[in-house]
Amino acid sequence: MRHLTDTELLEAVESTAQTASQHAPHLDECAACRADVEALRAVLARTAADRLPEPSPLFWDHFTTRVSEALRDEPIPSGAPWLSRLQRPLTTWAVVAAALVLAIVTVIWRATLHAPSPLGSYTASSTVGSTSPATSGDLPAPRADDPDTDARWAVVRVAAEDLAWDDVHDAGISADPGAAEGVALELTAAERSELARLLDRAMKRNGV
Amino acid sequence: MTAAAAAADDDRTLVLATLDGKRDAFDELVRRHQRHVYQLCYRFSGNHEDASDLAQDVFVRAYKGLRSFRGQSAFSTWLYRIGVNVCLNRAATRAAAARTVPLERVDHADPRGERADAALVREERAAEVRAAIARLPRKQRAALILRVYHELPHDEIADILGSSVGAVKANFFHALANLRKLLGGS
Repeated sequence: MRHLTDTELLEAVESTAQTASQHAPHLDECAACRADVEALRAVLARTAADRLPEPSPLFWDHFTTRVSEALRDEPIPSGAPWLSRLQRPLTTWAVVAAALVLAIVTVIWRATLHAPSPLGSYTASSTVGSTSPATSGDLPAPRADDPDTDARWAVVRVAAEDLAWDDVHDAGISADPGAAEGVALELTAAERSELARLLDRAMKRNGV
Repeated sequence: MTAAAAAADDDRTLVLATLDGKRDAFDELVRRHQRHVYQLCYRFSGNHEDASDLAQDVFVRAYKGLRSFRGQSAFSTWLYRIGVNVCLNRAATRAAAARTVPLERVDHADPRGERADAALVREERAAEVRAAIARLPRKQRAALILRVYHELPHDEIADILGSSVGAVKANFFHALANLRKLLGGS
């Protein structure tokens, strides 16, 4: 005969009308389980019977005052609300890690825009807005600043593939309304000029 | 809306008011929850003085960390979580498991007309139970206290202890089984 599991024994000990009937047939048959349930019920009853001494009614007023005084010199609770967002499951940490990778790669990418590019010959020779394929091969060489084909963007693409918008939004790392304008206003003149050039090129490439 | 849900809503309102700089709002939160927090601390510490200190510590920590309360669970659940952590940490440093309530210190006992020797026997049995509970492993003790003395459902205890419902039930079962051994046939 199979005896009741720990969980089933607990259900019997804490029995309601429903769970009692569920295990009653077995308990009627099995003296060992019945003895266990009765012993555990007795322990539970004895434990629950212990009532704490009630403090004086004056104690509660005194206690409230005591806490209030302990907090008298404390500033209003503050702290970065986003810290609480970090107390979330693994997915959040994955999203944050992906965002950090994205930020680092973006910085590196921006730096390389102003440095001599290993693909400089192609980039320099390519015509903005040109629709003709590269002349040196069957397939066009990857564009140095094209996130879809540039190998340096691969890590970002891989990280972004597994990201759900909701996770990004919940993690608090999505852009707020007006964030793009805010960033644009903080750019230096040279950066703004570069941004305008990139936007212009992207618009021409897409035929806008 | 149930009374519990209304109380939880009121708590959230008080939390927001506290974060808005209204100290009175936090005083009200203390008044609402002090009894449960104190009783929790008493169960872990075994005496009034330590329970008072621990309960104060719980509220101070709650105040300092109020910003991290996101309202996903009830404020009382969040407070219980702080309380259990404070009590278990304090117990670990003080080795409170070895302590019991000396009978001569049970000065709150009110015989309420029963014979003095009957009250003495009752207090002696209570002290045995408390001493046995104090010897339980931390998670078993926490699960037992929250379940038996605070009558919380298993899922809320799981939320407080940061574990699964299954783990809570297992801990509670083993707590009872261990108490059965510790209390023996007395």
